Amino acid sequence: MSGATVLRAGVIASSICLLIGLLWEFAAPGPIPARLLDLGIVVLLLTPTARLVVSFVEFLAERDWLFVGFAGIVLVELAAAVAVAFR
Amino acid sequence: MLVVTPTLALIVFGAGAVAGTLGALLGIGGGVFLVPFLHLVLGFPFSIAAPISLATVIATSSSVTARSADNQSINFRLAMVLEVATVGGGLLGGLTAGWFSQSVLQRLFGAMAAVVAFVMVGRLNRRNVIRDPSAALGVLDGRFHEAESGGIVSYRVKRLPVALAASFLAGNLSTLLGVGGGVIKVPVLNAWCGVPIRAAAATSAFMIGITATAGAIFYYARGQLMPGLAAAAILGVQLGSWGGLRFSEVASVKWLKLLMAGVLIVVAVSMFMRGAD
Repeated sequence: MSGATVLRAGVIASSICLLIGLLWEFAAPGPIPARLLDLGIVVLLLTPTARLVVSFVEFLAERDWLFVGFAGIVLVELAAAVAVAFR
Repeated sequence: MLVVTPTLALIVFGAGAVAGTLGALLGIGGGVFLVPFLHLVLGFPFSIAAPISLATVIATSSSVTARSADNQSINFRLAMVLEVATVGGGLLGGLTAGWFSQSVLQRLFGAMAAVVAFVMVGRLNRRNVIRDPSAALGVLDGRFHEAESGGIVSYRVKRLPVALAASFLAGNLSTLLGVGGGVIKVPVLNAWCGVPIRAAAATSAFMIGITATAGAIFYYARGQLMPGLAAAAILGVQLGSWGGLRFSEVASVKWLKLLMAGVLIVVAVSMFMRGAD
């Protein structure tokens, strides 16, 4: 299931960055651990969206147009939320 | 300024672990527990507590959904339909924030939680599973393997408008309250919409990550997501969700429903207490 793989990859990648970043930040605070922490958070924040894209592609492959539509709408809604957030 | 000490990080780690455990058991993000803990117990400002909580919801959602090796119980189509309403509600959250004060919204959320708790307890012994695996199912209905029922079971989703309305509301309040909405969606799906508790929990676990994304990005863009503490909570979730998934395999349906009702009552009480100040 590539959906679970995407989630696992996101969780593992972000957790590694966050764990190393957090310990490093306590041991020797500086720009590098701060960047690591930020990277870990950004990767985590993007993980559900990546999973959503996988769903979109799966529905596309199944030619389930109704649910391609629904998944597409959710992606557009998320994009709108991001656009508003960074306005 | 909030000083992030190792001790504080450890405490927040522990809180994340609790959130992760509840998430694995009930398909909720842990936000309804984490926000009051960070804000009322640890004294964080709400604008700091909410983003940490939303990041935790994403972590819980992603970990639990990834680790559910038996993805049969996640109803992806139902999730997609409900998320249209949920994220849609989230986009309009700014409007709601303009109309109602946060204490009013908290009390509204608390009232919803209390009502749903009572309905859940009232339906404790009614099962939503249909034991005939060859039963005719519609597009949104589901089929999964449940050890407790002894095999493949199916269910039919009922009262979709109720689920959509609850989802819209959950999404609307998600950013404002720092929650993922699972605490409302799971009981509504189970008590009113014909979804068995495990399927409701698994589907909710998948949904809340998407819901919390919009809110988390909103606070992140404003620089209100504190990386060190968020990291501690997220790492705690990994530990908690691992343990919670172990428990959820052996927990009975009745126990899960009681736990859900218990969490709802605690949420309702804490929301009313917060709403009062």
